[in-house]
Order: sequence, then structure tokens, then C-alpha cells
Amino acid sequence: MKTVIQSLVAALALTAMGTIAPLAHAAGVSAISAPDPHAHHHHMMSEIMRSTVDYTPPPVSLVREDGKAVSLISELNDGRPVILTFIYTTCTSICPMISQTLSQLQSDLGSDRNKVHMMSISIDPEQDTPARLTEYAKKYGAGPEWQHYTGTVEASVATQRAFDVYRGDKMNHNPVTLLRAAPGKPWLRIDGFATVAELLGAYHELVAAK
Amino acid sequence: MAAHLSRPSVEPILPAPRKCDRERGFAPIRRFLRGVVLAQVWRPASPALVPFFGLALTLMLTFHAGAPWAAPRALVPASEASGSGDDNPAADVGAAIFRHGIQGSGAPLEATRDAGVRLQGAAAACINCHRSSGLGAKAGSSTIPPITGRYLLHPRAKDMGDLDLPYVDGIRADRDPYTDETIARAIRSGLNSEGKPLSYLMPQFDLNDADMTALIGYLKRLDKRRPRGVEDTVLHFATIITPDADPVKRRGMLDVLQQYFTDKNVFPLGATPPLRSTRKMMFMVNRRWQLHVWELTGPATGWEQQLKQHLAAEPVFAVLSGLGGKTWAPIHAFCEHEEIPCLFPNVETPVGGDGDFYSLYLSKGVLLEAELIAKNILDADGDKGVRSVHQIYRAGDSGEAGAQALAAALKHHGIAVSSRVLAAGESLAKALKGGAGTNALVLWLRPADIAALGAIPAPPASTTVFMSGLMGGLENAPLPSSWRYSTRLAYPVDLPERRRYRVDYAFGWFTIRHIPVVAEQVQADTYLACGLLAETLSHMVDTFVGDYLVERIEDMLERRILTGYYPRLTLASGQRFASKGGYIVRFADAHGVRLVADSDWLVP
Repeated sequence: MKTVIQSLVAALALTAMGTIAPLAHAAGVSAISAPDPHAHHHHMMSEIMRSTVDYTPPPVSLVREDGKAVSLISELNDGRPVILTFIYTTCTSICPMISQTLSQLQSDLGSDRNKVHMMSISIDPEQDTPARLTEYAKKYGAGPEWQHYTGTVEASVATQRAFDVYRGDKMNHNPVTLLRAAPGKPWLRIDGFATVAELLGAYHELVAAK
Repeated sequence: MAAHLSRPSVEPILPAPRKCDRERGFAPIRRFLRGVVLAQVWRPASPALVPFFGLALTLMLTFHAGAPWAAPRALVPASEASGSGDDNPAADVGAAIFRHGIQGSGAPLEATRDAGVRLQGAAAACINCHRSSGLGAKAGSSTIPPITGRYLLHPRAKDMGDLDLPYVDGIRADRDPYTDETIARAIRSGLNSEGKPLSYLMPQFDLNDADMTALIGYLKRLDKRRPRGVEDTVLHFATIITPDADPVKRRGMLDVLQQYFTDKNVFPLGATPPLRSTRKMMFMVNRRWQLHVWELTGPATGWEQQLKQHLAAEPVFAVLSGLGGKTWAPIHAFCEHEEIPCLFPNVETPVGGDGDFYSLYLSKGVLLEAELIAKNILDADGDKGVRSVHQIYRAGDSGEAGAQALAAALKHHGIAVSSRVLAAGESLAKALKGGAGTNALVLWLRPADIAALGAIPAPPASTTVFMSGLMGGLENAPLPSSWRYSTRLAYPVDLPERRRYRVDYAFGWFTIRHIPVVAEQVQADTYLACGLLAETLSHMVDTFVGDYLVERIEDMLERRILTGYYPRLTLASGQRFASKGGYIVRFADAHGVRLVADSDWLVP
């Protein structure tokens, strides 16, 4: 009986993986997809995965923390290098980690701080009103280069889908940071808790290659 | 089977892609299996899932035949004697560290993560990740482990079947037991009981010895909360009705609750006690549900005391649904003070902020309507801009709270707000004259008053009329045709044609069981509350901790597909109102119930 169950389970699990795994890469990884060579430097277990991907952002309107309706595409394409993440303000585990990292990245960028555009998009947009985002941004000391966005559920989900971070509900969300040197360039996607140093390194690599 | 209403969560199926846990081996599969097994209790409506459901049944049957490594022990003795340590000051220091990130000295807790990210005070408190229950959670592919004493100190076990602990997501079996010393090392240095690094998410805390002792004491004390209303074969629940609750709605709600409990108890209970053993967790998921109806009497000031007496006489695990009138504040306070989950009552005037924990509401009721009306007024173009608002409500009804919320929302926008309270029996006509000259009229009135508008001329076109949809009866509000052109309804639920597929199942269920439909929304919301509880409990297995019930609802609610009157329900730590928006609508025709929305779904 035990064997039967185990093989059934294994078969089911494999089927499930087979069905679902391709979804995880639906956006089409175009270039490399390899474990971060520096991952072993971490004392704790922050494994990250870097990949280079072409994404097509949807033509949606988002609402910035200042209450202004803006086009996602225009916000992405203002010419500056973009560092993009997805968060929600009542998240207590993953998002604070992401936002603390971005907060420190701001200062570690030095003079480059004024040349980048950091964008955090809410995956819980009905709760995350512009007022709550403003409060959140303040909590993490967001400077003028770092904006937070909300909008309709549809616009948020469309954006998450376009960047392949939509996982059905906010509790399923995983840490992802996306960097792009300039409009028209591919995105560098970092899955996992990237450290400030890793993000800084990735940023300088991308900008140097531009 | 009442609650086939939700889509299966994919989370247990997805392999955690870069899980750095050395236990990962079979854990995802085990989790997957557990999801499937439990799925049979409530899953799912979609035809696409039928094959899945079939497999689940197969597996379930297999399990009944004696799967060797499936389940944790059926029933864990609730705890050792409770009550120790409550008056121990060290325990309070432990609670302050765990819950608020405050050290014994009063200074904020300090922590760092690898790579130098610093945390301080409330942001560093254990409760953020490990939750109020201390039982952890899943967040994406990260699993936050349980850290109450018994989950840290249990002896190494070969597998879950040998582990005499209620199941939670982050439970670990085959690891050396922690000691006080290794717990302290984990907290300070981020190493587990075997000296291996903990997750990257776990910060390293700067705690002195006394604070460490207090914190470890608190982790052990978390296990000593004895669950109320949980017996070997019965789970006790209460529903609370205030004396001023609408008697028709009361009957409608009780019909649904009582039928739901009856149905729940018909399902495969069978010979439960003889089968209760380590491997038969399945049966324990199906404890019988017992409903206690707590009807309050007299003035609101005495309600909390009455509720404490009810709770002492009939201990319950949670309060389910319920029906209020003008105020729900004493019930809300009772739930917070007694630390008892109070799930989705039918109230128009919920209280409390997002900072409270135990009371969960489907929406903010008339307070949300006030926010929707305020948004509509403030967003209007300059030309049509509203300069003055006149509100009418009856004394002793929910409209008072709505009117106050609207006045507060408009306060700093240069809009004059006046309010007129109608005494019992006082006619509406006179009160309406007082509103002449204002350019917005807001009616917080019941159907009888709305119908009486027919004898009163509608205000000029320059005056916009808003009315509370919830109080007036939504699309069934008897609004006379002469008022329909100028009147807009606050409508904090989904539009009738869009919600139909989400409520049809419930109304079909009522019909088959001969439950008269007397209060559509109250009955649909009550049915929804029951379904949410059943679904969540089926995921909790035998982990009967009140805080954990609330946390599981917070985490799972968003996955629900059949959300009744609401397009979407979400909660989280610090979110207590599940549906956040609504519409402003008009009647499409001079007669009938057809509505036209003024705009898309609005979230004020």
C-alpha cells in the first residue's frame, strides 16, 4: 500500500510541477538564466537567481502616491535606469525586507541616486491608497527618485502579469527585483532577496553596458 | 456538503523553487498531499477541477486505509494547566518584545539582518513574521516556522506521523530539539538547534540575558492558551444578536446558520471516537459543530457583561456571523477583550480600526457608504461642485454613524454640512424643508421613509440626492419614480448582474432547503461567513488556536472565488474590513430594480 501511495503521490506531484512550472517562465527568458555566482558569499541563505528577460509592460494607468494618475509606460520610459519591485503595505515579512533593501540602496548609490528611478508597485491596490503609500514611503525614507504606485486591481494584476510576478494572491508573492538600464533594453530580473551590494553591482553592470 | 466554494490553493502544489531548507526532500509533496486530502472537505465548483477532485477522493480513501506517513497526531491535549505566568512581570517583558519590539528597559528592540539591514522597535518584533499565534505562516516560497515552545522543544521525530503536535505549515520533525541555550543562539546569532544558519529572513537580535529569558518564557507560555469551545468531537460557536436587530433579518440569519450547522453535521461524521488515533487525522477535521445563540437584552451598556456570562456558561471557539442594530461597539470590545475571533457579523456600523485583531468584517457598512458619497462629492467638477450638504437620519438608527462619518470626511473641504435627526414618528416632509437651498441632500433612511418620499416633490435638478443603499434596501429600495432622476445610491456591494454567479449557489442552497429568503444580503452574507469558517477550519486541521484562525483567514481569504455580494475579499495583518469599495448608482428606469453605475468600482 505504501508503495502505491508513494508512486501515486510522486506521479501527481510531477504532473503538478509539469503543469505549473512552464507558467513560471511564461514571459520567455531570452538570454541567460543562471544561479548568481556570488550567492555563496552569503552567510545566511539568500539564494538569488538572475535572468535577462524582455517584458512588454501593459498600457495601464496607475495612481502614484501623490494621487496623480500616470501611465505605467511613461513612468518606466522617462529615460532613467529603472529599479522595479512589487510590494504591499500591510505585508509583514517579505516586503519590509525588499523596502529596507531599496531604502539602503538609495544612499549606497551615492551620486547615481539622482539618475535612477525606483518604482514599487502595490499588489494590494485597494488597501494601498495613495495616502497609505505616502506613509509607507516615508517610513522607508524614500527620496524623490523612489515612487510607489497603486491603481485598480485590474491595472495592478496586468502589470504583475506582464512582469511575471503574479502569483494569484498577495500571500503567494515572492521577492523579485527588476532592473533596466534604459528604455528598449532588456530587463535584468533578480529572484530572491537580493542584498544592497548585489543590487548595486547589478546596477553598475547594466549602466556600464548601456 | 455546504461549502464547495473555493478554488484550491496552488501553493501546496508548487514546489518551492529555491527553498534552502535542508528538510525540503519530501516536504513539498507532503504539503501537496495534505492540501489534496483536506481539499475533499470543501472543494471545488469548477468543472476543470473535477478530475483533481476525483484524485483527492482516491487519495482520501487510500488514507483511510492507513497511509503510514500522512498525518500528525489526531488530537493534542490542549495544553498543560493554563494560567501560569500571567502575573509574572518577566512574561510581560517577553510579550512586549515579541509583540511590540520593546525591550525590558523600554528601549526599542534592535536587530540586523545579514548584509547589514537594520531593524528597530515594532519593525523588529517577532509578531511580524511569526504572527500573533507564534505559529508562523507561509509567505510566497518562504515558510516562517512556528516558534511556540512545543514546536521548538519537541524531540526529534522521523516524520510528521510521529510528531505529537498540531500541524502547521512550517512544522519541522527531524531536527535536534532546541534548548533554552540554542533558542538564545538562534535569536542572537541566527543558527538553528544544529548550528546551521537560519533563513535569510530571520534577523539577529541584540537582547540581554534577562530579556532573553523573558522572551523564551513567553514562547513557552504561548502554548498554554487553552482553546475554548473545542472538545474531542464538538466545536462550539456562538452567534450574537442585539435587542434592536431587525426581527425579519434575525429570522433569516438564524435559518441559514441553523441549516448550515445541520448540514455540516450530517457529513461523514460516523463513528468518530473509536477511529481517533494517530493516523486518523481526517476524522478529526470533521468535528460536529454546535451553535449557541446569544441574544442580548436591555441597553448597550450591559451587553459586554452579558456576553462574558454567556462565554463562561457556554465556552465557544469563535463567534460566527451575528446581527446588530445601531451599535456593535460592545460586541466588538468583548471580542477584543476576551481574545475571541468574531467572524463577519451582519452589521451596518462596524467599529474599531485596522489595529484591532479579533473582529473581522465583510465591509465597513454605512461608514463605507459615507466615504463613497464623500468621494463622489469631492471628485465632482468645479461647476457642479457641492457647497452645502444636508443629511437626514432617524434617531437610534445606523444613519447617525453614517452621517457623522460623512460630516467628518467633508469637514476640511469647505463644505457646510447640516444634519437633521428625525424623532420616532416624526414625518419626513418637514425635515426636508430644512434642506432647501443646499445642493446635496443625503438620506440615511429605511424603506418606509423612502417610500414616503412619493408624497413629497423631488428637489430641483440643481440638488443631488444621495441615499444609503444598505439602509434603503439596495436595488429593492422603494424609491418613488419622481425621485429617481435626481437620486444616487451608495452601493457598497457588487452590481446585481455581476454578483449573480457568486450568490446563485447560496440562493439555490436556500431553495433546496426550504429556507425563506426574507433578507437577501443578510442571508447571503451569513452563508458566506459559514463557508469562510468551514474552509479555513479545514486548513487548520487540528490546530485550534483562536489567533491562528484569524491569521489563516487573513492569509486565505483572497483565494476565495465565491465571494457572495462582494467582488473581492482581502485581509492581512492590519486589515479588518474585507471588501473595500463600492459604486454610486442610479435607477435606470422609473420603475423596477435595474441600476446604472455612475462609474467603475470605487475605492475611497
